[in-house]
Amino acid sequence: MTTPNTAVKIGKLTLRNPIVTGSGTFGFGPEMANIVDLNKLGAVVVKSTSREPRLGNLTPRIVETPSGILNAIGLQNSGVDNFIAEKLPFLRNYDVPIIVNLVGTGVADYVHLAEKLTAAGGVHGLEINISCPNVSHGCDFAVDPALTAELIREIRKVTDLTLITKLSPNVTDMVPIARAAVDAGSDALSLINTLIGTAIDIRRRKFRLANITGGLSGPAVKPIALRCVWQVHRALPNVPLIGMGGIMSATDAIEFLLAGATAVAIGTATFVNPTAVTDVVSGLEKYLMENGIADVNELVGAVTQ
Amino acid sequence: MPHQVFARVLSNDPIIAGHQVITCDAPSLAAEAQPGHFVNVLTTERFDPLLRKPFSVYTVDRDRGQISLLYSIVGATTEGMARKRPGEILDIVGPLGGRLFQADTRPAAAHIMVGGGYGVPPLVFLSRELRLAQSEPNITFIIGARRKDLLLCEAELIAAGVDARVATEDGSHGVSGRVTDVLEPLLLEKSGLPVMVYCCGPTPMMRAVAELCLRLGVTCQLSVEVAMPCGIGVCMGCVLDLTDGRRVRCCVDGPVFEAAEVKWS
Repeated sequence: MTTPNTAVKIGKLTLRNPIVTGSGTFGFGPEMANIVDLNKLGAVVVKSTSREPRLGNLTPRIVETPSGILNAIGLQNSGVDNFIAEKLPFLRNYDVPIIVNLVGTGVADYVHLAEKLTAAGGVHGLEINISCPNVSHGCDFAVDPALTAELIREIRKVTDLTLITKLSPNVTDMVPIARAAVDAGSDALSLINTLIGTAIDIRRRKFRLANITGGLSGPAVKPIALRCVWQVHRALPNVPLIGMGGIMSATDAIEFLLAGATAVAIGTATFVNPTAVTDVVSGLEKYLMENGIADVNELVGAVTQ
Repeated sequence: MPHQVFARVLSNDPIIAGHQVITCDAPSLAAEAQPGHFVNVLTTERFDPLLRKPFSVYTVDRDRGQISLLYSIVGATTEGMARKRPGEILDIVGPLGGRLFQADTRPAAAHIMVGGGYGVPPLVFLSRELRLAQSEPNITFIIGARRKDLLLCEAELIAAGVDARVATEDGSHGVSGRVTDVLEPLLLEKSGLPVMVYCCGPTPMMRAVAELCLRLGVTCQLSVEVAMPCGIGVCMGCVLDLTDGRRVRCCVDGPVFEAAEVKWS
Protein backbone atom coordinates (compact mmCIF):
# COMPACT_ATOMS: atom_id res chain seq x y z
CA MET A 1 0.00 0.00 0.00
CA THR A 2 1.05 3.63 -0.33
CA THR A 3 2.57 5.39 2.64
CA PRO A 4 -0.22 6.38 5.04
CA ASN A 5 -0.90 10.01 5.77
CA THR A 6 0.37 10.89 9.21
CA ALA A 7 -0.18 14.66 9.09
CA VAL A 8 -2.64 16.19 11.54
CA LYS A 9 -3.89 19.71 12.13
CA ILE A 10 -3.77 21.48 15.48
CA GLY A 11 -5.28 24.94 15.05
CA LYS A 12 -3.38 26.63 12.23
CA LEU A 13 -0.53 24.17 12.47
CA THR A 14 0.00 21.16 10.30
CA LEU A 15 2.12 18.57 12.09
CA ARG A 16 3.89 16.00 9.91
CA ASN A 17 2.82 13.39 12.42
CA PRO A 18 0.86 13.45 15.68
CA ILE A 19 3.85 12.96 17.96
CA VAL A 20 5.05 15.98 19.92
CA THR A 21 7.28 16.49 22.94
CA GLY A 22 5.86 17.15 26.38
CA SER A 23 6.84 20.50 27.82
CA GLY A 24 9.50 20.18 30.48
CA THR A 25 10.72 16.82 29.24
CA PHE A 26 12.66 17.88 26.15
CA GLY A 27 14.55 20.96 27.33
CA PHE A 28 14.62 23.77 24.78
CA GLY A 29 15.76 21.63 21.87
CA PRO A 30 19.58 21.75 21.85
CA GLU A 31 19.76 19.20 24.67
CA MET A 32 17.97 16.65 22.48
CA ALA A 33 19.05 17.63 18.97
CA ASN A 34 22.10 15.36 19.00
CA ILE A 35 19.99 12.43 20.22
CA VAL A 36 16.92 12.64 17.98
CA ASP A 37 16.25 14.35 14.65
CA LEU A 38 13.88 17.18 15.54
CA ASN A 39 12.68 17.26 11.93
CA LYS A 40 11.09 13.83 12.40
CA LEU A 41 8.71 15.14 15.10
CA GLY A 42 5.22 16.54 14.77
CA ALA A 43 6.19 19.55 16.88
CA VAL A 44 8.64 20.52 19.58
CA VAL A 45 7.02 21.84 22.75
CA VAL A 46 9.73 23.52 24.77
CA LYS A 47 9.99 23.90 28.52
CA SER A 48 7.86 26.43 30.37
CA THR A 49 9.02 29.97 29.84
CA SER A 50 8.22 32.79 32.24
CA ARG A 51 8.62 36.57 32.14
CA GLU A 52 11.56 36.60 34.53
CA PRO A 53 14.16 33.87 35.09
CA ARG A 54 13.14 31.31 37.71
CA LEU A 55 15.51 29.19 39.79
CA GLY A 56 12.82 26.62 40.57
CA ASN A 57 12.44 24.57 43.73
CA LEU A 58 14.98 23.03 46.05
CA THR A 59 16.09 19.39 45.70
CA PRO A 60 14.99 16.62 45.86
CA ARG A 61 12.81 17.63 42.94
CA ILE A 62 12.06 14.23 41.44
CA VAL A 63 11.34 10.98 43.24
CA GLU A 64 10.28 7.64 41.84
CA THR A 65 7.01 5.99 42.81
CA PRO A 66 5.61 2.75 41.44
CA SER A 67 5.48 3.09 37.63
CA GLY A 68 5.82 6.82 37.88
CA ILE A 69 7.70 9.85 39.09
CA LEU A 70 6.70 12.80 41.20
CA ASN A 71 8.31 16.03 40.08
CA ALA A 72 8.42 19.45 41.67
CA ILE A 73 10.88 21.32 39.47
CA GLY A 74 9.17 24.66 39.95
CA LEU A 75 9.42 25.92 36.37
CA GLN A 76 13.16 26.61 36.38
CA ASN A 77 13.96 28.60 33.24
CA SER A 78 16.04 31.54 32.09
CA GLY A 79 13.12 33.81 31.20
CA VAL A 80 11.54 34.80 27.92
CA ASP A 81 14.20 37.31 26.84
CA ASN A 82 16.90 34.68 27.24
CA PHE A 83 14.72 32.16 25.37
CA ILE A 84 14.31 34.52 22.42
CA ALA A 85 17.97 35.55 22.35
CA GLU A 86 19.67 32.24 23.16
CA LYS A 87 17.33 29.33 22.41
CA LEU A 88 15.08 30.39 19.55
CA PRO A 89 17.85 31.01 16.97
CA PHE A 90 18.86 27.36 17.31
CA LEU A 91 15.28 26.15 16.92
CA ARG A 92 14.78 28.27 13.77
CA ASN A 93 17.25 25.97 12.01
CA TYR A 94 14.72 23.16 12.08
CA ASP A 95 11.73 22.47 9.89
CA VAL A 96 9.39 21.63 12.76
CA PRO A 97 6.67 23.69 14.47
CA ILE A 98 7.92 25.22 17.71
CA ILE A 99 5.38 25.51 20.49
CA VAL A 100 6.36 27.47 23.57
CA ASN A 101 4.78 26.59 26.89
CA LEU A 102 4.23 29.78 28.82
CA VAL A 103 3.56 30.38 32.43
CA GLY A 104 2.84 33.50 34.43
CA THR A 105 1.52 34.66 37.74
CA GLY A 106 -1.28 36.80 36.35
CA VAL A 107 -3.05 37.76 33.12
CA ALA A 108 -0.59 40.59 32.41
CA ASP A 109 2.34 38.17 32.56
CA TYR A 110 0.81 35.81 30.03
CA VAL A 111 -0.17 38.65 27.69
CA HIS A 112 3.35 40.06 27.86
CA LEU A 113 4.82 36.63 27.04
CA ALA A 114 2.40 36.05 24.19
CA GLU A 115 3.19 39.44 22.65
CA LYS A 116 6.94 38.93 22.91
CA LEU A 117 6.91 35.40 21.56
CA THR A 118 4.61 36.32 18.69
CA ALA A 119 6.80 39.25 17.71
CA ALA A 120 9.99 37.17 17.98
CA GLY A 121 9.30 35.10 14.86
CA GLY A 122 9.98 31.39 14.66
CA VAL A 123 7.40 30.46 17.29
CA HIS A 124 4.41 28.67 15.80
CA GLY A 125 2.19 27.96 18.74
CA LEU A 126 1.70 28.85 22.37
CA GLU A 127 0.76 26.31 24.99
CA ILE A 128 -0.80 28.13 27.90
CA ASN A 129 0.23 26.47 31.12
CA ILE A 130 -2.58 27.25 33.53
CA SER A 131 -2.04 24.10 35.47
CA CYS A 132 1.45 23.68 36.85
CA PRO A 133 0.94 22.09 40.26
CA ASN A 134 4.36 23.03 41.60
CA VAL A 135 4.24 26.76 42.01
CA SER A 136 2.23 28.96 44.28
CA HIS A 137 -1.13 29.69 42.66
CA GLY A 138 -0.14 27.61 39.62
CA CYS A 139 -3.54 26.01 39.48
CA ASP A 140 -5.73 29.07 40.07
CA PHE A 141 -6.71 29.48 36.43
CA ALA A 142 -7.08 25.80 35.71
CA VAL A 143 -9.70 25.16 38.37
CA ASP A 144 -12.01 28.02 37.40
CA PRO A 145 -13.79 28.30 34.02
CA ALA A 146 -14.28 32.06 34.35
CA LEU A 147 -10.63 32.74 35.14
CA THR A 148 -9.54 30.43 32.33
CA ALA A 149 -11.84 32.22 29.89
CA GLU A 150 -10.60 35.66 30.90
CA LEU A 151 -6.98 34.62 30.54
CA ILE A 152 -7.40 33.01 27.13
CA ARG A 153 -9.49 35.92 25.84
CA GLU A 154 -6.77 38.43 26.77
CA ILE A 155 -4.02 36.30 25.22
CA ARG A 156 -6.11 35.79 22.08
CA LYS A 157 -6.26 39.58 21.59
CA VAL A 158 -2.49 39.87 21.19
CA THR A 159 -1.56 36.83 19.11
CA ASP A 160 -2.63 35.02 15.97
CA LEU A 161 -0.45 32.01 16.80
CA THR A 162 -2.14 28.71 17.49
CA LEU A 163 -3.23 28.72 21.12
CA ILE A 164 -3.28 25.50 23.08
CA THR A 165 -4.55 25.52 26.66
CA LYS A 166 -2.99 22.88 28.92
CA LEU A 167 -5.57 21.55 31.33
CA SER A 168 -5.18 20.22 34.84
CA PRO A 169 -6.67 16.90 35.89
CA ASN A 170 -6.75 18.16 39.47
CA VAL A 171 -10.37 19.31 39.16
CA THR A 172 -13.76 17.70 39.64
CA ASP A 173 -14.74 18.04 35.99
CA MET A 174 -12.41 19.15 33.21
CA VAL A 175 -15.16 19.69 30.64
CA PRO A 176 -16.44 23.13 31.75
CA ILE A 177 -12.86 24.43 31.86
CA ALA A 178 -12.10 22.93 28.46
CA ARG A 179 -15.22 24.52 27.01
CA ALA A 180 -14.41 27.90 28.59
CA ALA A 181 -10.92 27.87 27.08
CA VAL A 182 -12.22 27.01 23.60
CA ASP A 183 -15.05 29.56 23.74
CA ALA A 184 -12.49 32.22 24.69
CA GLY A 185 -10.36 31.47 21.64
CA SER A 186 -8.14 28.51 22.42
CA ASP A 187 -7.59 26.58 19.17
CA ALA A 188 -6.75 23.34 20.90
CA LEU A 189 -6.30 21.76 24.31
CA SER A 190 -3.54 19.67 25.80
CA LEU A 191 -4.24 17.27 28.61
CA ILE A 192 -3.36 16.15 31.11
CA ASN A 193 -0.85 17.98 33.20
CA THR A 194 0.49 15.97 36.14
CA LEU A 195 -1.61 14.79 39.07
CA ILE A 196 -0.72 16.25 42.44
CA GLY A 197 0.75 13.69 44.80
CA THR A 198 3.31 13.17 47.49
CA ALA A 199 5.57 10.47 48.92
CA ILE A 200 6.97 9.89 52.39
CA ASP A 201 10.22 8.33 53.58
CA ILE A 202 9.20 6.32 56.64
CA ARG A 203 12.79 5.82 57.82
CA ARG A 204 13.44 9.54 58.07
CA ARG A 205 9.74 10.34 58.58
CA LYS A 206 10.02 13.14 56.08
CA PHE A 207 8.42 14.02 52.77
CA ARG A 208 10.55 12.76 49.93
CA LEU A 209 10.20 15.97 47.87
CA ALA A 210 11.59 19.25 49.18
CA ASN A 211 8.40 20.88 47.88
CA ILE A 212 6.26 18.27 49.76
CA THR A 213 3.91 17.80 46.81
CA GLY A 214 4.73 17.18 43.18
CA GLY A 215 3.15 16.20 39.91
CA LEU A 216 2.77 12.51 39.17
CA SER A 217 3.59 11.36 35.64
CA GLY A 218 4.55 8.16 33.89
CA PRO A 219 2.68 4.91 33.21
CA ALA A 220 0.92 5.17 36.59
CA VAL A 221 -1.27 8.04 35.31
CA LYS A 222 -2.05 6.70 31.84
CA PRO A 223 -5.51 5.27 32.56
CA ILE A 224 -6.59 8.56 34.13
CA ALA A 225 -5.18 10.62 31.26
CA LEU A 226 -6.88 8.41 28.72
CA ARG A 227 -10.21 8.79 30.51
CA CYS A 228 -9.79 12.59 30.60
CA VAL A 229 -9.04 12.75 26.87
CA TRP A 230 -12.08 10.61 26.10
CA GLN A 231 -14.36 12.76 28.30
CA VAL A 232 -13.21 16.04 26.80
CA HIS A 233 -13.31 14.67 23.25
CA ARG A 234 -16.86 13.41 23.76
CA ALA A 235 -17.95 16.85 24.97
CA LEU A 236 -15.98 18.84 22.37
CA PRO A 237 -15.56 16.49 19.41
CA ASN A 238 -14.38 19.18 17.00
CA VAL A 239 -11.61 20.55 19.20
CA PRO A 240 -8.15 19.14 18.52
CA LEU A 241 -6.68 17.59 21.64
CA ILE A 242 -3.05 16.84 22.40
CA GLY A 243 -3.23 13.85 24.71
CA MET A 244 -0.52 13.02 27.20
CA GLY A 245 0.08 11.14 30.41
CA GLY A 246 2.30 8.11 30.71
CA ILE A 247 2.75 7.38 27.02
CA MET A 248 5.72 5.02 26.80
CA SER A 249 5.17 3.35 23.43
CA ALA A 250 3.36 3.55 20.10
CA THR A 251 0.68 1.30 21.59
CA ASP A 252 0.00 3.85 24.31
CA ALA A 253 -0.03 6.68 21.75
CA ILE A 254 -2.57 4.85 19.58
CA GLU A 255 -4.81 4.37 22.62
CA PHE A 256 -4.87 8.15 23.09
CA LEU A 257 -5.68 8.73 19.42
CA LEU A 258 -8.53 6.24 19.64
CA ALA A 259 -9.80 8.00 22.77
CA GLY A 260 -10.03 11.25 20.84
CA ALA A 261 -6.61 12.90 20.79
CA THR A 262 -5.50 14.38 17.46
CA ALA A 263 -1.89 14.42 18.63
CA VAL A 264 -0.02 13.03 21.61
CA ALA A 265 2.91 14.24 23.68
CA ILE A 266 5.73 12.05 24.90
CA GLY A 267 7.02 13.21 28.26
CA THR A 268 8.42 11.08 31.05
CA ALA A 269 9.27 8.34 28.52
CA THR A 270 12.08 10.57 27.20
CA PHE A 271 13.76 10.42 30.62
CA VAL A 272 13.88 6.63 30.34
CA ASN A 273 14.53 6.28 26.62
CA PRO A 274 15.96 9.42 25.04
CA THR A 275 14.72 8.35 21.60
CA ALA A 276 11.18 7.58 22.83
CA VAL A 277 9.63 10.32 20.66
CA THR A 278 11.04 9.01 17.38
CA ASP A 279 10.49 5.40 18.47
CA VAL A 280 6.78 6.21 18.85
CA VAL A 281 6.73 7.89 15.41
CA SER A 282 8.16 4.71 13.82
CA GLY A 283 5.84 2.46 15.80
CA LEU A 284 2.79 4.47 14.76
CA GLU A 285 3.79 4.33 11.07
CA LYS A 286 4.24 0.58 11.35
CA TYR A 287 0.80 0.18 12.94
CA LEU A 288 -0.85 2.21 10.17
CA MET A 289 0.86 0.14 7.48
CA GLU A 290 0.14 -3.20 9.13
CA ASN A 291 -3.52 -2.35 9.63
CA GLY A 292 -4.09 -0.81 6.23
CA ILE A 293 -5.02 2.58 7.66
CA ALA A 294 -4.54 5.24 4.98
CA ASP A 295 -4.81 8.27 7.25
CA VAL A 296 -3.94 8.59 10.92
CA ASN A 297 -6.91 10.93 11.36
CA GLU A 298 -9.16 7.89 10.91
CA LEU A 299 -8.02 6.73 14.35
CA VAL A 300 -9.00 9.89 16.19
CA GLY A 301 -11.86 9.11 18.52
CA ALA A 302 -12.49 5.82 16.73
CA VAL A 303 -12.78 3.71 19.88
CA THR A 304 -16.03 1.79 20.24
CA GLN A 305 -17.57 -0.02 23.14
CA MET B 1 27.04 11.63 21.75
CA PRO B 2 24.62 9.85 24.09
CA HIS B 3 23.05 6.84 22.45
CA GLN B 4 21.37 3.62 23.47
CA VAL B 5 23.32 0.38 23.34
CA PHE B 6 21.99 -3.11 23.86
CA ALA B 7 25.28 -4.46 25.08
CA ARG B 8 26.08 -8.15 25.35
CA VAL B 9 27.32 -9.08 28.81
CA LEU B 10 30.73 -10.77 28.71
CA SER B 11 31.30 -11.27 32.43
CA ASN B 12 29.67 -10.25 35.68
CA ASP B 13 31.63 -11.24 38.74
CA PRO B 14 31.74 -10.36 42.44
CA ILE B 15 34.86 -8.49 43.56
CA ILE B 16 34.07 -7.89 47.21
CA ALA B 17 30.94 -8.57 49.22
CA GLY B 18 27.97 -6.88 47.58
CA HIS B 19 29.97 -5.44 44.70
CA GLN B 20 30.35 -6.74 41.16
CA VAL B 21 32.03 -5.77 37.91
CA ILE B 22 29.97 -6.22 34.78
CA THR B 23 31.84 -6.13 31.46
CA CYS B 24 29.95 -5.65 28.22
CA ASP B 25 30.65 -5.66 24.53
CA ALA B 26 29.95 -2.01 23.62
CA PRO B 27 32.44 -0.70 21.05
CA SER B 28 30.74 2.68 20.57
CA LEU B 29 30.76 3.37 24.31
CA ALA B 30 34.32 2.14 24.69
CA ALA B 31 35.43 4.46 21.90
CA GLU B 32 33.78 7.55 23.33
CA ALA B 33 33.95 7.15 27.11
CA GLN B 34 36.35 9.39 29.02
CA PRO B 35 36.99 9.65 32.78
CA GLY B 36 34.02 11.37 34.38
CA HIS B 37 31.51 9.98 31.91
CA PHE B 38 28.66 7.91 33.25
CA VAL B 39 26.07 5.67 31.68
CA ASN B 40 22.41 5.06 32.49
CA VAL B 41 21.27 1.47 32.88
CA LEU B 42 17.78 -0.01 32.67
CA THR B 43 17.15 -3.59 33.75
CA THR B 44 13.38 -3.80 33.45
CA GLU B 45 10.86 -2.58 30.91
CA ARG B 46 7.99 -3.14 33.31
CA PHE B 47 8.25 0.38 34.78
CA ASP B 48 9.22 -0.52 38.34
CA PRO B 49 11.62 1.07 38.77
CA LEU B 50 10.75 3.40 35.91
CA LEU B 51 13.96 5.37 35.62
CA ARG B 52 17.42 4.31 34.57
CA LYS B 53 20.19 4.49 37.15
CA PRO B 54 23.57 6.13 36.58
CA PHE B 55 26.92 4.34 36.84
CA SER B 56 30.30 5.90 36.33
CA VAL B 57 32.53 4.19 33.82
CA TYR B 58 35.09 1.95 35.55
CA THR B 59 37.24 0.69 32.69
CA VAL B 60 37.22 0.66 28.93
CA ASP B 61 39.13 -1.60 26.58
CA ARG B 62 39.12 0.33 23.34
CA ASP B 63 40.93 -2.40 21.39
CA ARG B 64 38.32 -4.98 22.30
CA GLY B 65 35.42 -2.55 22.38
CA GLN B 66 34.49 -3.35 25.96
CA ILE B 67 33.26 -1.32 28.87
CA SER B 68 33.06 -2.26 32.56
CA LEU B 69 30.95 -0.91 35.38
CA LEU B 70 31.68 -1.52 39.05
CA TYR B 71 28.47 -1.51 41.05
CA SER B 72 27.24 -2.13 44.51
CA ILE B 73 24.05 -4.18 44.84
CA VAL B 74 21.72 -1.81 46.64
CA GLY B 75 18.38 -1.72 44.84
CA ALA B 76 16.18 -3.10 42.09
CA THR B 77 18.37 -1.97 39.18
CA THR B 78 21.61 -3.27 40.62
CA GLU B 79 19.87 -6.50 41.66
CA GLY B 80 18.77 -6.79 38.03
CA MET B 81 22.34 -6.17 36.89
CA ALA B 82 23.64 -8.81 39.30
CA ARG B 83 21.31 -11.39 37.70
CA LYS B 84 22.73 -10.81 34.21
CA ARG B 85 24.64 -13.81 32.86
CA PRO B 86 27.23 -13.71 30.09
CA GLY B 87 25.44 -13.55 26.74
CA GLU B 88 22.49 -11.59 28.10
CA ILE B 89 21.83 -7.98 27.11
CA LEU B 90 22.30 -4.86 29.22
CA ASP B 91 20.35 -1.77 28.11
CA ILE B 92 22.72 1.21 28.42
CA VAL B 93 22.44 4.88 27.45
CA GLY B 94 25.73 6.73 27.29
CA PRO B 95 28.21 8.17 27.42
CA LEU B 96 26.66 10.87 29.58
CA GLY B 97 28.19 13.93 31.17
CA GLY B 98 29.16 17.31 29.79
CA ARG B 99 32.12 18.41 31.85
CA LEU B 100 34.58 15.65 32.68
CA PHE B 101 37.80 15.27 34.64
CA GLN B 102 40.52 17.46 33.16
CA ALA B 103 43.94 15.89 33.48
CA ASP B 104 46.54 18.28 34.87
CA THR B 105 49.12 18.66 32.11
CA ARG B 106 51.61 20.80 34.02
CA PRO B 107 55.10 19.25 34.03
CA ALA B 108 55.81 17.18 37.16
CA ALA B 109 52.24 17.60 38.36
CA ALA B 110 51.24 15.54 41.38
CA HIS B 111 47.90 13.89 40.67
CA ILE B 112 46.01 12.98 43.83
CA MET B 113 42.92 10.79 43.52
CA VAL B 114 40.57 10.72 46.49
CA GLY B 115 37.87 8.09 46.17
CA GLY B 116 35.33 6.93 48.68
CA GLY B 117 33.13 3.87 48.24
CA TYR B 118 31.58 3.73 44.78
CA GLY B 119 33.47 6.95 43.99
CA VAL B 120 36.63 4.90 43.47
CA PRO B 121 35.88 3.34 40.01
CA PRO B 122 35.82 6.57 37.92
CA LEU B 123 39.14 7.58 39.48
CA VAL B 124 40.66 4.20 38.63
CA PHE B 125 39.61 4.93 35.02
CA LEU B 126 41.20 8.39 35.26
CA SER B 127 44.43 6.90 36.65
CA ARG B 128 44.60 4.46 33.73
CA GLU B 129 44.01 7.23 31.20
CA LEU B 130 46.68 9.41 32.84
CA ARG B 131 49.17 6.58 32.55
CA LEU B 132 48.30 6.21 28.87
CA ALA B 133 48.56 9.94 28.18
CA GLN B 134 51.60 10.90 30.26
CA SER B 135 54.91 9.18 30.80
CA GLU B 136 55.31 8.10 34.42
CA PRO B 137 52.71 10.42 35.94
CA ASN B 138 53.03 11.08 39.65
CA ILE B 139 49.77 9.56 40.93
CA THR B 140 48.78 9.01 44.54
CA PHE B 141 45.44 7.32 45.13
CA ILE B 142 43.66 7.64 48.46
CA ILE B 143 40.96 5.01 48.89
CA GLY B 144 38.42 5.48 51.64
CA ALA B 145 36.01 2.92 53.01
CA ARG B 146 34.11 2.25 56.18
CA ARG B 147 35.82 -1.12 56.69
CA LYS B 148 38.59 -3.19 55.11
CA ASP B 149 36.10 -5.58 53.48
CA LEU B 150 34.45 -2.66 51.65
CA LEU B 151 37.70 -1.36 50.18
CA LEU B 152 37.68 -1.18 46.38
CA CYS B 153 40.47 -1.58 43.85
CA GLU B 154 43.50 -1.43 46.18
CA ALA B 155 45.19 -4.52 44.73
CA GLU B 156 44.78 -3.46 41.12
CA LEU B 157 46.13 0.01 41.82
CA ILE B 158 49.18 -1.43 43.57
CA ALA B 159 49.66 -3.89 40.69
CA ALA B 160 49.59 -0.95 38.29
CA GLY B 161 52.34 0.75 40.28
CA VAL B 162 50.12 3.45 41.74
CA ASP B 163 50.99 4.82 45.19
CA ALA B 164 47.78 3.65 46.91
CA ARG B 165 46.98 4.84 50.43
CA VAL B 166 44.04 3.70 52.48
CA ALA B 167 41.81 5.18 55.14
CA THR B 168 39.19 3.08 56.89
CA GLU B 169 36.79 4.55 59.38
CA ASP B 170 37.16 1.59 61.77
CA GLY B 171 40.91 1.40 61.33
CA SER B 172 40.78 -2.17 59.98
CA HIS B 173 43.22 -1.27 57.21
CA GLY B 174 45.50 1.67 56.47
CA VAL B 175 45.06 4.90 58.38
CA SER B 176 42.27 4.88 60.93
CA GLY B 177 40.01 7.73 59.98
CA ARG B 178 38.82 9.55 56.92
CA VAL B 179 40.38 10.28 53.55
CA THR B 180 41.10 13.84 54.67
CA ASP B 181 43.33 12.42 57.44
CA VAL B 182 45.51 10.99 54.66
CA LEU B 183 45.06 13.88 52.23
CA GLU B 184 46.19 16.70 54.52
CA PRO B 185 49.68 15.31 55.25
CA LEU B 186 49.97 14.18 51.63
CA LEU B 187 49.36 17.73 50.41
CA LEU B 188 52.18 18.91 52.68
CA GLU B 189 54.37 16.11 51.34
CA LYS B 190 53.68 17.27 47.77
CA SER B 191 54.02 20.99 48.46
CA GLY B 192 56.37 22.55 45.98
CA LEU B 193 54.88 20.48 43.15
CA PRO B 194 51.90 21.54 41.09
CA VAL B 195 49.10 19.55 42.71
CA MET B 196 45.69 18.54 41.35
CA VAL B 197 43.16 16.68 43.46
CA TYR B 198 40.45 14.61 41.75
CA CYS B 199 37.68 13.45 44.04
CA CYS B 200 34.58 11.27 43.88
CA GLY B 201 32.54 9.75 46.66
CA PRO B 202 29.69 10.41 49.05
CA THR B 203 28.73 14.07 49.38
CA PRO B 204 29.94 14.58 53.00
CA MET B 205 33.34 13.16 52.03
CA MET B 206 33.59 15.36 48.94
CA ARG B 207 32.61 18.40 50.94
CA ALA B 208 35.36 17.70 53.49
CA VAL B 209 37.92 17.18 50.71
CA ALA B 210 36.76 20.33 48.90
CA GLU B 211 36.99 22.44 52.04
CA LEU B 212 40.45 21.11 52.88
CA CYS B 213 41.70 21.83 49.35
CA LEU B 214 40.23 25.32 49.36
CA ARG B 215 41.83 26.03 52.73
CA LEU B 216 45.23 24.87 51.44
CA GLY B 217 44.85 26.58 48.05
CA VAL B 218 44.91 23.35 46.06
CA THR B 219 42.76 22.92 42.95
CA CYS B 220 40.29 20.09 43.33
CA GLN B 221 37.92 18.57 40.79
CA LEU B 222 34.82 16.84 42.15
CA SER B 223 32.56 14.42 40.35
CA VAL B 224 29.33 15.02 42.20
CA GLU B 225 27.00 12.26 43.29
CA VAL B 226 23.37 13.23 42.99
CA ALA B 227 20.28 11.47 41.69
CA MET B 228 20.10 12.05 37.94
CA PRO B 229 16.64 11.07 36.72
CA CYS B 230 17.24 11.56 32.97
CA GLY B 231 21.00 12.08 32.60
CA ILE B 232 20.54 14.04 29.37
CA GLY B 233 19.80 17.53 30.66
CA VAL B 234 16.05 17.74 30.23
CA CYS B 235 14.37 16.81 33.52
CA MET B 236 16.01 19.48 35.70
CA GLY B 237 16.01 17.06 38.62
CA CYS B 238 19.76 16.95 39.34
CA VAL B 239 20.44 20.61 39.92
CA LEU B 240 23.31 21.94 42.00
CA ASP B 241 23.81 25.47 43.31
CA LEU B 242 27.11 27.11 42.42
CA THR B 243 28.86 29.91 44.28
CA ASP B 244 28.27 32.28 41.34
CA GLY B 245 24.51 32.00 41.89
CA ARG B 246 23.81 29.68 39.00
CA ARG B 247 21.68 26.57 39.51
CA VAL B 248 23.06 24.03 37.06
CA ARG B 249 22.31 20.47 36.00
CA CYS B 250 24.87 17.97 37.28
CA CYS B 251 24.33 15.63 34.33
CA VAL B 252 25.20 17.92 31.42
CA ASP B 253 26.77 20.94 33.12
CA GLY B 254 28.88 18.52 35.21
CA PRO B 255 29.23 15.99 36.70
CA VAL B 256 32.72 17.36 37.36
CA PHE B 257 33.01 20.76 39.05
CA GLU B 258 35.86 22.56 40.75
CA ALA B 259 35.66 22.67 44.53
CA ALA B 260 35.55 26.47 44.53
CA GLU B 261 32.42 26.46 42.38
CA VAL B 262 30.23 24.27 44.55
CA LYS B 263 27.92 25.87 47.10
CA TRP B 264 27.27 23.27 49.78
CA SER B 265 23.77 23.29 51.20
